[in-house]
Amino acid sequence: MDKKNYKDMWVYIEHDGAQVHPVSFELCCETRKLCDKSGDKLVAVVAGDLPESELEKIKDCGVDKLILVSGTGYERYNTEAYTNLFTVLCQKYKASAVMVGGTTNGRDFAPRFAARLETGCTSDATELIYNPETSDIEFVEPAAGGKIMAVITIPVLRPQVGTIRPGTFKHIPVGKKAKVEVIKEEISFPVENIRTKLMGFKADAFDPELDIAGSEVIVCVGAGLKDEESLGRYRELAKLLGGKLACTRPLVDRELLPYKLQVGQSGVMIKPKLYIGFGVSGAVNHVTGIEAGKFIAVNKDPDAPIFNYCDYGIVGDMNEVCDEMIAQLKA
Amino acid sequence: MLKILVCVKQVPDVDQMRMDPATGNLIRAGVPAILNPLDANALSAAVKVKETYGGEITLITMGPPAAEAVLRECLAVGADKAILVTDRAFGNADTLATSYSIVSAANTQDKYDLIFCGKETLDGATGQMGSQLAERFNAAQVTSASLIKEIDLEKGKLIVERELETGIETLEVSMPCLFTMEKTNYPVRIPSLKGKLAAKKAPVVTITSQDIPGLDKQRIGDPGSPTKVPRMFPPVMPEPGVILDEGGLDATVSKLLELIKE
Repeated sequence: MDKKNYKDMWVYIEHDGAQVHPVSFELCCETRKLCDKSGDKLVAVVAGDLPESELEKIKDCGVDKLILVSGTGYERYNTEAYTNLFTVLCQKYKASAVMVGGTTNGRDFAPRFAARLETGCTSDATELIYNPETSDIEFVEPAAGGKIMAVITIPVLRPQVGTIRPGTFKHIPVGKKAKVEVIKEEISFPVENIRTKLMGFKADAFDPELDIAGSEVIVCVGAGLKDEESLGRYRELAKLLGGKLACTRPLVDRELLPYKLQVGQSGVMIKPKLYIGFGVSGAVNHVTGIEAGKFIAVNKDPDAPIFNYCDYGIVGDMNEVCDEMIAQLKA
Repeated sequence: MLKILVCVKQVPDVDQMRMDPATGNLIRAGVPAILNPLDANALSAAVKVKETYGGEITLITMGPPAAEAVLRECLAVGADKAILVTDRAFGNADTLATSYSIVSAANTQDKYDLIFCGKETLDGATGQMGSQLAERFNAAQVTSASLIKEIDLEKGKLIVERELETGIETLEVSMPCLFTMEKTNYPVRIPSLKGKLAAKKAPVVTITSQDIPGLDKQRIGDPGSPTKVPRMFPPVMPEPGVILDEGGLDATVSKLLELIKE
């Protein structure tokens, strides 16, 4: 394979027929920057019907080209039609890179079409860098539970496939190009070859306790938590401050709190006015999910990385500090 | 009889890894190797299926010979036999090469109706393996599956639930099918004494690259891995924040609350 023959960076546009998923805009905007450096064209790939107004929003992200795919198999998300679609399109157009939003569905088919094409797939990059010497994309991502950053490249094969989590990059449209090429493709996937059939969908009931994304105050407990009995005080503190309780991955692993309360790249991205982390070590995966007005950290380990991210910190026993905060707030 | 394959991995307990502040390298020495936590939930789902519908559970893992430990651990909670794919030639593999190696090895043993995987591993955490294994098994896939509701053995179909960001899908899917499991409905099982004894005697087949007819050596290990890691570096840290210490806990907390209220 001569990678020089592979051009253009693609973004898969995830949508529900009415609206584009925000992650697709985010990826268009970020990939635009890579294309500006590499000289590649930015191509957005849309399968199935989407209103013209949404197509305009995609164009506003500075795309050079739209590939609009019609045909059978795209009415609802399914592994087979989307895997086939990107296999066929990548073979035909020889894309250099394909960026896919790291949603549940994006993470479902991207690795599969990468395997069908026998190329590399990366996931959860937090930074994308174009290296002009190698003409490769450097996918920078947290590794080993966020204790170290790894640079991942796909130096020989194409396309370079990456799934990237929603909220990693920002949707800041650079504006519509004077000329946007629109290519129409018809690629039908036989509906009878789709091996999953949708029997029903039940939307999650809205539980305000689990809505940490919209909370202005977050009290977050981390791996330092000793046991389940200690949890109550953090709930109480959250309530006193008018906020919500959240946690880091190890507590979800220990089955102390539900996954919907997990803050970070692979959980929920939060933007509170006030964040207080108790016994949180400060793994990259966690802190990349926080954009806080005021960031407080409490940890008994003075060398914990969390103190590098905080505005104010207290080195001490998390339970004791929490109890004292409750006592003073009640006084 | 349902043939069930459960894919598991031995991983370093990354939560116990520390970074050497002087060198910026990860200190791996002394970090215990454990069963990937989410694989235990996938195994629970498989055992539940076996209890309800009958069947035989085979485990498969790829790793160093010491990875047999996690196979024995899983055999103790209801798996029947195990495959250990081990060879230096398989080492340094990314998900593409690993999926090719595991499927090539599994295919030398049997054909499987249902394949269960954890949603992701603690160490690599790509969450890609399930989809890539399914591709190579030419199986249907349901990632983020949360419940195996019903199995129609005659028709070879299942009704399953899948967790999306906004709710739960109910899907009908045909066999063979691979599932990556959410932990929601399948808590980790604790082995019984009887299970532990059975695990000691259960058969573990070791498969090396020599044992797989027609294996393409260019598609395994490092040569078969398109993704590379040219460098690692410690996370770039911002300057530390202000550490509050007013002499006593009550004074320090009082200062903190003042700052919060600002």
